[in-house]
Amino acid sequence: MAELVHEIMIEATPETIWPFLTDAEKHLEWEGTKVELDPRPGGVYRVLVGGEHQSAGEFVEIVPMEKVVFTFGWEQDGNPITPGSTTVEITLHPEGDKTRVRLVHTGLPDANAVSQHREGWGHYLDRLSVRASGGDPGPDRLPGS
Amino acid sequence: MVPIDAALKALAEPRRREILRLVWSREMPATAIADHFREVTRPAVSQHLGVLKTAGLVTERRDGTRRLYRARPDEIEKVRAFLDDYWTSGLERLRDVAEAAEREKGRP
Repeated sequence: MAELVHEIMIEATPETIWPFLTDAEKHLEWEGTKVELDPRPGGVYRVLVGGEHQSAGEFVEIVPMEKVVFTFGWEQDGNPITPGSTTVEITLHPEGDKTRVRLVHTGLPDANAVSQHREGWGHYLDRLSVRASGGDPGPDRLPGS
Repeated sequence: MVPIDAALKALAEPRRREILRLVWSREMPATAIADHFREVTRPAVSQHLGVLKTAGLVTERRDGTRRLYRARPDEIEKVRAFLDDYWTSGLERLRDVAEAAEREKGRP
């Protein structure tokens, strides 16, 4: 199984960043057009992206100001990454007056072994389409479309 | 190089993604691809294949009257890399709103 790791340094304290991850209203400010979050184990995680693509999962672990873990997938016919089938872990690491935010997405089918795990590409392609419909005006500039 | 806009547009349709999966590791004739979709007409499948080809995501080869298709993983890898960048942008938006909130807190 493959994983994706992203890190970013933010000039804010974990206390400032935390609500953006766990409070639906705050989450809307950076991701999603409709957000439903119930940050406790077994609680719902739903973020509607681009107005039509529904991501869904459940919170698994919440350590305030430090760590949030939730399962993740897409409610879309034919999408191999079904709700809850992968896991996203976001951790906050304070460094001075800044915070390193680390996002690890695990349980993804291995993108390198596409012949055995072609559904892995399905995931990437589906995610790509989600992002494509998430307000990127690029696709509409296509010749012939 | 895949024109990213074209690739995004091509991939935004679930059936085109399914076609890509079909021809990922083996070349298939258009007829066999069409047979895979019970609920989609052949002209519609043909149109999907045309979009994928224009976007650079599949190659087309003619063999007599048959048209054969195969995915171009190298090109699609570039799209994946693009997606990776796009996810990064999600965290960058988080950074922007969090830093704005932090500055707001610092004010008297």
